[in-house]
Amino acid sequence: MGKEESPQVVTRRTTRSSSSSTPNSKNLETTKSCNPQPMTINDLVFGDEHISFDDLISSLPGRRSQIHELVRLLGPLNSPTIPLFIYGGTSTGKTSVVLQIFRYLNRPFVYTSCRTCYNPRVLFESILNQLSLHRKDVGNGYSSAKRCERPSDFVNLLREALLTVVNNLKGHLENSSSKKSIGRISGKMVYLIIDNLELVREWDKSANLLPFLFKLYAILMLPEVGLVYISNTSPDTYYSDTGYIEPIPVYFPDYTEEDLRQIFLRNQANQKLYSSFLEVVLRPFCRTTRRVDELSAAFSPLFKKYCEPLSDLGISPSEEMKRRLFSHLQPHIMPSLNEVFKISSRPSSEGESNKEKANRQGCTQRLRGCPAIDEIDFHMSTSAKYLLISAFLASRNPATLDASLFDSTGGSDNRKRKRNSSVKSMEHKEAAEQELLMKGPGTFPLERLLAIFQCITSVEEYTLEEEEPGTNSLGVESGDSGLMSDVLLQVSSLCNANFISKGGSCPLDGSTRYRSTASEDMALKVARSLKFPLSKYLYRR
Amino acid sequence: MAPSAAANSPPSPENTECNLQPFFVLHKALPSNSERKSMEKTASRKRTRRRIDLSPSSPKSSEQSEAEFAGDHHLRTDAFRYVWSKIDSTIKNVLRNINADVFNDILFWVQESFNTTCSCGMPDRAKATRSYPVVTGPLSKQIYTGLVFTQNMELVDDLLTFKDLGLHLTSHGCHVANLSSFDFSAKNGIDGCLRGLLRQFLLANLDVADMSILASWYIDQGNYENPMVVIIDDMERCCGSVLSQFILMLSEWTVKMPIILIVGVATTVDALSSILPSYALQYLSCHKFILGSPADRMEAVIEAVLVKQCSGFSVGHNVAIFLRNYFFRQDGTLTSFVRALKIAIVQHISMEPLSFMLKGLSDEDSQDLWSESPVFLPELFKRAFDLPSFRRNELTETNEEILARGLSDLKRLKELWSSAVMCLYEAGKGHKITMFDLYCETLDPELHHSRVSDHHLGLETKVGMSSSDHQIRERLQNCGFIHQVIRKVRDLPEVLLCQLLKNWEKHTKGIIEIHAKVRELQSSLKFEDDKGLKQGLTDLSKRQKIQSNFNIEKDAKRLNEKTTELIIWMVKNYMLPIECIPFHEIICFTNVSKLQSALIGDPRRTIQVDLLEFHKILKCKCCSKSGNNPLPSMHDTSIMYVLTQEHGDLINLHDWYQSFKASILHPRIKRKHRLKHSPSPKKKMDTSESRKKSEASVQAQFSRAVTELQITGLLRMPTKRRPDYVQRVAFGL
Repeated sequence: MGKEESPQVVTRRTTRSSSSSTPNSKNLETTKSCNPQPMTINDLVFGDEHISFDDLISSLPGRRSQIHELVRLLGPLNSPTIPLFIYGGTSTGKTSVVLQIFRYLNRPFVYTSCRTCYNPRVLFESILNQLSLHRKDVGNGYSSAKRCERPSDFVNLLREALLTVVNNLKGHLENSSSKKSIGRISGKMVYLIIDNLELVREWDKSANLLPFLFKLYAILMLPEVGLVYISNTSPDTYYSDTGYIEPIPVYFPDYTEEDLRQIFLRNQANQKLYSSFLEVVLRPFCRTTRRVDELSAAFSPLFKKYCEPLSDLGISPSEEMKRRLFSHLQPHIMPSLNEVFKISSRPSSEGESNKEKANRQGCTQRLRGCPAIDEIDFHMSTSAKYLLISAFLASRNPATLDASLFDSTGGSDNRKRKRNSSVKSMEHKEAAEQELLMKGPGTFPLERLLAIFQCITSVEEYTLEEEEPGTNSLGVESGDSGLMSDVLLQVSSLCNANFISKGGSCPLDGSTRYRSTASEDMALKVARSLKFPLSKYLYRR
Repeated sequence: MAPSAAANSPPSPENTECNLQPFFVLHKALPSNSERKSMEKTASRKRTRRRIDLSPSSPKSSEQSEAEFAGDHHLRTDAFRYVWSKIDSTIKNVLRNINADVFNDILFWVQESFNTTCSCGMPDRAKATRSYPVVTGPLSKQIYTGLVFTQNMELVDDLLTFKDLGLHLTSHGCHVANLSSFDFSAKNGIDGCLRGLLRQFLLANLDVADMSILASWYIDQGNYENPMVVIIDDMERCCGSVLSQFILMLSEWTVKMPIILIVGVATTVDALSSILPSYALQYLSCHKFILGSPADRMEAVIEAVLVKQCSGFSVGHNVAIFLRNYFFRQDGTLTSFVRALKIAIVQHISMEPLSFMLKGLSDEDSQDLWSESPVFLPELFKRAFDLPSFRRNELTETNEEILARGLSDLKRLKELWSSAVMCLYEAGKGHKITMFDLYCETLDPELHHSRVSDHHLGLETKVGMSSSDHQIRERLQNCGFIHQVIRKVRDLPEVLLCQLLKNWEKHTKGIIEIHAKVRELQSSLKFEDDKGLKQGLTDLSKRQKIQSNFNIEKDAKRLNEKTTELIIWMVKNYMLPIECIPFHEIICFTNVSKLQSALIGDPRRTIQVDLLEFHKILKCKCCSKSGNNPLPSMHDTSIMYVLTQEHGDLINLHDWYQSFKASILHPRIKRKHRLKHSPSPKKKMDTSESRKKSEASVQAQFSRAVTELQITGLLRMPTKRRPDYVQRVAFGL
């Protein structure tokens, strides 16, 4: 219940790439009062205080060899480097490692992520802004330093900006050699880091931006520039035959179980308790994923569950207690393994919906719809419900069957014939069934939908009046107002709610084809709410 | 505007003259008759009127139909404005109150999650505007997301809700941006969505939209004092890839600026997982909020607007049932209900000349209902006493006093009715008896008559539930909801009964007769309560205790009986449906068919009728006498459509073309004869022109007309299978 109200210190792991919070809060107060100072060349290095190599290694468990290799590849101070290509699965520490290495090396760098810079122009301008120490703010109307859209402009501007930066750095170096105290920047090299490179493939239709980015080193011909590409796909997935210097690949493999244990154990308040927790959960989860972000998202609620029976979170658990805690946790592991995302809700003042909410609170939504809830939990008008059902029928049933289903005489004949079918035709049918399964729900024109709608509503109204004449006194009187009025409007709102998908075509032709995307569960629920015998109309091979 | 200066005296002609709207003058040019609004006339103009009424935002459209009651159209406009503004504000208030709880919940959650984000340390300014990500832990990329379930498939009702939510959060210091699915279209991509975001936050249209701009803006707005909230009101319609891109981008920046998402979900949770890929979903840490369901809102609106009579306007039984069915079966949105209500008001005011009294009737202070009327008083009285509901009473004398008394009676009876309905509703609240059903039932005049004429309701209480009389059972079916409520009251436990009486006391405040009875019951309840308590304290012996408990139980049963009697008495004596009260026509709208035709437009039928009977609209002299034979002076499309009437569902194109050509060219021969008698130069030119009309131009006319028919949806073009046939789509009217 009160999960969110009391965020426990234990589960919040403050640092991964150690931006410790105490100096920040000091900085906060100072910057709040004074106006932003103009950016200096110092802003090109990683902001925080210097770390030693040992700190670097220990802050990134399981990445020792990669760090060694990268440091080696980046080389000693002021030595030109060939572009690096760092790749590995999502959440394997690529970006963190690179950033931390630059923090350790204290070399100036420019970082851009192709996620945030979602098109070439934003990417170029972001790099140029950082190099020319330009910051977008109210003063300059949030505009960039230079407007740059084409790669050719970018090369010129970039060369210009790089040269000024490098000259600045050289000047800085000479200054700092006389006055040692200021000198934080080491070297006169500038590194460009381009993260999430795999996304460029998507926004680059004519496929010339990627080769351009790879060729940048050769085009610029500046020994003072180092390039680092970070991607989560291997270099083979890029076009690599256009004659640029191949960047040196550095692979970040997935973490091993042991690495993960170390990562998760860092910054835990109660190491012993957490390690006993990890003993329980890490193995089963590692089988499904080794991504740190996914695992930590799954672990944090589980750990809360794990700690529930404990009053004192500081204790180191004994064997017996571990066993007890395990048995407490065990029922929650399997559901948590399957869940894609979970929704929590707060206990609210509303009395009515509280019960329903409580039902949901534990019940997590899985990708395969859960059959627990029997009624649809949102409002649909009756005609929309009928439309949904008819769309569902139109998608599931072959069009040739419509006549026999909705014709009062045809239905029974058909069923008899089906029973007498021979083995061969059965096989044939099975194949067809398989095919249908692969194809998914079929498409149908609007006319067919409307015809089915008309049929089932007229049938329904007829039976309704026949069976229960007295109860629905309000309904019968309005029978003539029917359900036909705004059907097209309802179709469009069903489309909007993603229950029907619409294939694009010329609206004049009237041959737009629709497809029902509602799940069978959904259709059954709707049918149940209308007391409509859906299964009678469904064609079951 | 107030013509009250000319009180009681007929207004000077200049006065009325200058009040005429241009619209009105136009209409007046038509042949008008001075007699009272004739039903035939309005019926024949129904179609044109409906078209005007469909734009309910122009209240002026209402007054044009009554040309004869020239002076009071502005009074009626006034009345409309008054009534509508009252209803409108009431509805808004109701909705605000319904949402208030959820809004506060959301606000609390926003602040709480903002605090959790901040508590893990916010980066300083220099860091936040740097381009590299600040990572404070694997969970720091999570975006707090509030899923607001609207519980309605249709979105219209909730557009306003989300806007209100935005305002609510803004007023508590959050930075809010309201995005809609248009910002997440596949066409504009992520660029359009960021642009929209920046436009809302920065109030500026920028050349390049970029998250770093947002970050530096946010820091300029004071360092991490207020959360940023992005509201997306219709998740289902968003393009999934753009939305997931947006979420991924936000997750990169979420440490630098605490953005909180609020997403409106119209259907189920599954919709979210079907739209978004799992790698985007995992960045959302979701919370669930549920808005009031449309049915609940409807209840509240019905209660506030129609039962409690905020404006004096009310609707008849049939209209109520129509509205109910329209809501549950057809549309299911509050918006369309409100629209229907508005149309009803417009139509009522336009149809009922005395409706201008609505304003005076619902105002507490104004006593002189007709003092403002520019009409001669005698005429007004004549009209009022002509109302069928008055004539039913067969009173012969008609004077001012009777009308005044009648009107005040009307008002009082309505109040009685509404408090009785409220009491019923209160009793049936927990038992799935909805306000709408109850409302419809209590408006039924026939049910009321049957209630009054046979005394079953009273009788049954004496007989009790044991009676299995056939008649009773039949009646039980007839007045379903009221009877259910009464049965519920009979079985109510004591605590709830006490509460119910307390609520009744509230609802009957101001109505002396009922109030007194309720108070009496309440005091007896208290008295018995005390008695029971005292007995329990004093008598210690076990047997006596049991006895006393038994007594208490019996007392409670008696009390239940009494309460039941009270409510039956209320229903019988005070719950007079509006349509049984004299002069109800002034305030009550009863014409279902009009409302229906205005609401459920029948576009295809209208097109067909207009094509066949175009002369009713064009009013040209040349075609009106033609009957059903196509004349060349008719519009091509009309000719074509008239010709299609002779065909079955398949029309041979060639035949059709031939008959079209014939009907264009053929009557000319006849006319030629006539031309000899009266050769007017104009016609001569006409014929010489038409003679020149080549085959090609006829074909052009023909194909154009076919295309028009296709566009209006009356035809389907030839298919490959049958290249020489078109298919008729619409049959009959």
